[in-house]
Amino acid sequence: MVVCVHLPRFELALTAGGAQALVGRALAVAPAVGSEQRLGEVSGAAEARGVREGMALGEALARCPDLALLPADPVGVREAWESALRALESIGAAVEPARAGLAYFETEPLRGLHGSDAAVIAAVRSASLSPAGARAKAGPSLAERHVRLGAGPTRFCALAAALAVRSRRPLLVEERDARRWLGGRPIELLGFRAETEPLLEPLQRLGVRTLGELTRLGRPALADRFGAAGVLAHRLAGGADAPLRARLPEERLEETMGVGDASSGQALERVLGVLVDRLLARSERRGRTLRAVTLSARLLSGGGWYERVVFRQALCDRDRIGLALSLRLLLLPAPAASLGLAVERFGPAVGEQRALLEEGRAARATRLREAVSQVRAAAGEDAALRAVCVDPDSRVPERRVVLTPLAG
Amino acid sequence: MAAASSVLLNLPHPARVRMGEAGAPLQVDGRAIELVRESWLVEDRWWTAQPLRRRYWEVVSTSGRNLVVFHDLSAGDGELGGWFAQVA
Repeated sequence: MVVCVHLPRFELALTAGGAQALVGRALAVAPAVGSEQRLGEVSGAAEARGVREGMALGEALARCPDLALLPADPVGVREAWESALRALESIGAAVEPARAGLAYFETEPLRGLHGSDAAVIAAVRSASLSPAGARAKAGPSLAERHVRLGAGPTRFCALAAALAVRSRRPLLVEERDARRWLGGRPIELLGFRAETEPLLEPLQRLGVRTLGELTRLGRPALADRFGAAGVLAHRLAGGADAPLRARLPEERLEETMGVGDASSGQALERVLGVLVDRLLARSERRGRTLRAVTLSARLLSGGGWYERVVFRQALCDRDRIGLALSLRLLLLPAPAASLGLAVERFGPAVGEQRALLEEGRAARATRLREAVSQVRAAAGEDAALRAVCVDPDSRVPERRVVLTPLAG
Repeated sequence: MAAASSVLLNLPHPARVRMGEAGAPLQVDGRAIELVRESWLVEDRWWTAQPLRRRYWEVVSTSGRNLVVFHDLSAGDGELGGWFAQVA
């Protein structure tokens, strides 16, 4: 059985400072800096005034002049959601995250651990309620009052069940009842899948209101009119779905640093260099290369920004990582208050191939690394440090240079 | 200090300063001052909750030693901020 964990309005509740803040207030997540002027998640009160997620900002304000806009915080949302996912993984679940506030997992591998599906769901509830990170970021009320759990034979059925519940009690749809039960559900459920989302509007114009009505149109007709998306919609409505693709849980290394006066330009690149040094010096890396990282920033104007960077080849060279990331810094939409760098995926723990003529340089680098290791072994981890000019032109002398770990 | 943390260099350290009527240092850590070479004001972070306001003095002691001290002016009204020495 597949369980769907749904935290409605996850981003909005997080940005507003808790689910309680949404009650009776017309709120919406403002468009992210530098992106298309469309709203993010909206509160129930705003929806009642005709405002919808994804609506153009001008239209939303015309419909609801007292709509309060909250600055988008993709970095905070990402961190809180990651904490929630880790809490789910802590009970042994292999989680497939769909988007912030929506995730799935199979109960079958967990029955041996917890006993039954009901016990698994109870474990989810107790686990997802106590992730230290999510608690710190979102407050306890977010999870405790708003987590919706649904279970069914497929991912789509579990989602429909999670959206159908209106209380803290989970809804379990048995396999034998799934097709009939799905038949009565609204077609708006198709909007939760990227592949079937474009079908929603034409189907509504055609007067199709439920998944049962969609099924009765027939697979050939849907395939003829909508192509592969129509076939998929028919499969989903009929209680079939692809198996889950769970993510591989990996340890997450992250470094952040206040930018100070260096909110743009070369100074920002120096801060980035310090972050790379610190990340490479983490003992948890265990010599592994970096395959993918996330560069994030908290903006001075409020909110945040992040960019996922996948290297063409797994790297552990400070200069090459810095070069690849500095290009992404140009995409920063506004001056930053702090920068963050996190490892998304590690590569193999192997040395990089070097050119033959650089043999002498490589040998010197090896000797230097060995010397650093010996100094550290003798005098402690912080015995070998690198002085990095973070902001050499700062008028405040102590902000010009920092000591940062020397990759050994 | 943890291995993966950063440490600021050149942090200011408290200095004992006797100042004249104009606010210029006359004595720094027991050394008499011969000459004030330069003085400048640094105002920064005024847009944050921790604004920074310092009056720097570059001075030469009677023994010929160059020193840089600053008077912390970011203390509240009616409070006297401290004196600090720093390599500027």
